[in-house]
Amino acid sequence: MYVIIAGGGKVGFYLAQELINGNHEVLVIEREAGRCKQIADEIGEHVMNGDGCEASTLDRAGVVRADLVAAVTGDDEDNLVVCDIARQRGVPRTIARINNPKNELLFKKRGVETTISATQAILAQIEQELPTHEMIPLLQMHSGLELVEIRLPNTSPVAGRSVREVLLPPESLISLVVDPGGVPRIPSGETRLNAGDALVVVTRKESLEVLRESLIGATHGLDT
Amino acid sequence: MAINHVILVPVTNSAASLEAVSVACALGKQRKSKVFAVHVIEVLRSLPLNAEMDADARRGEQLLRKAEEIASATGYHVEGELLQAREAGQAIVDEARDRKADTVVLGIGSKPLIGDFQQGRTADFVLRHATSEVIVVRQGTVPRLEHEHE
Repeated sequence: MYVIIAGGGKVGFYLAQELINGNHEVLVIEREAGRCKQIADEIGEHVMNGDGCEASTLDRAGVVRADLVAAVTGDDEDNLVVCDIARQRGVPRTIARINNPKNELLFKKRGVETTISATQAILAQIEQELPTHEMIPLLQMHSGLELVEIRLPNTSPVAGRSVREVLLPPESLISLVVDPGGVPRIPSGETRLNAGDALVVVTRKESLEVLRESLIGATHGLDT
Repeated sequence: MAINHVILVPVTNSAASLEAVSVACALGKQRKSKVFAVHVIEVLRSLPLNAEMDADARRGEQLLRKAEEIASATGYHVEGELLQAREAGQAIVDEARDRKADTVVLGIGSKPLIGDFQQGRTADFVLRHATSEVIVVRQGTVPRLEHEHE
């Protein structure tokens, strides 16, 4: 697989190293000539000096034959531009690093298939440690789907009801129920939900708030 | 007697690199070395590394033949090889390592005397990364004919 990585910072460099170790063809595009030299000292010819935001640089990098472009600079705008150009050049898959989680929707709207937000990931880890947070993002999947964990509070409108009775947003699915004792089970329509249960739910990103209202109730504040 | 010492000499169409072949042969005679001449075809990243580079390969073969002629003229023999790589510097370093070369003899051009001297990215990379001895043959800054007229 030919992977182009825009941005030769720590993320780009270590990503390149891992992919090279996995026998992939890799090229890091880095704007700073000095940094390029440092990277070349470590990974040799797998680095090119240039601005990944310029179509001519990406063309020089052979973007038309790339299987994947990962834009991992520290600048969201640059990452968006890199992914835009790559998509226009027909790259089948683009991945962008997002520094400001608020930009995530913009990336999705522009067709960037996968976004990685370190801020969001750390936030999710912190939220897992906080019992007051009842909705924890676990994983962003393809096609705008997201996997979340929801712990049903005592006030949950679905506590005591069966899965069949729960009105979920479209394209949402309760895929796992873990009871307060930590026992997991794959739910059927008859499975009864209780306060304290942790549900692993697949839903669309834009349906998260509706899902929250359905399972937790509308009175709880935002906590994702 | 087995030859233990190995010299690698990269060949391009520059006068300096052909001079480097002469130097490598002279050194080879002295050290009883086996001399390998390599020409690296740099493949654009828009093409796969194993792309057919017929025109470049023909040019490379010519250069290697020229290196062999230079070697013959000095009464020595070089073995030529064509390589395809993204960057010549990396390819030379890798080839030197694979052939267990003791010495790389590298010809570099002379740049106009404006700003700092630049030996070029290939020579720079080889000098920084080759584990073997590297001898650089720099082309003269004054045309040879002028020397001869003096």
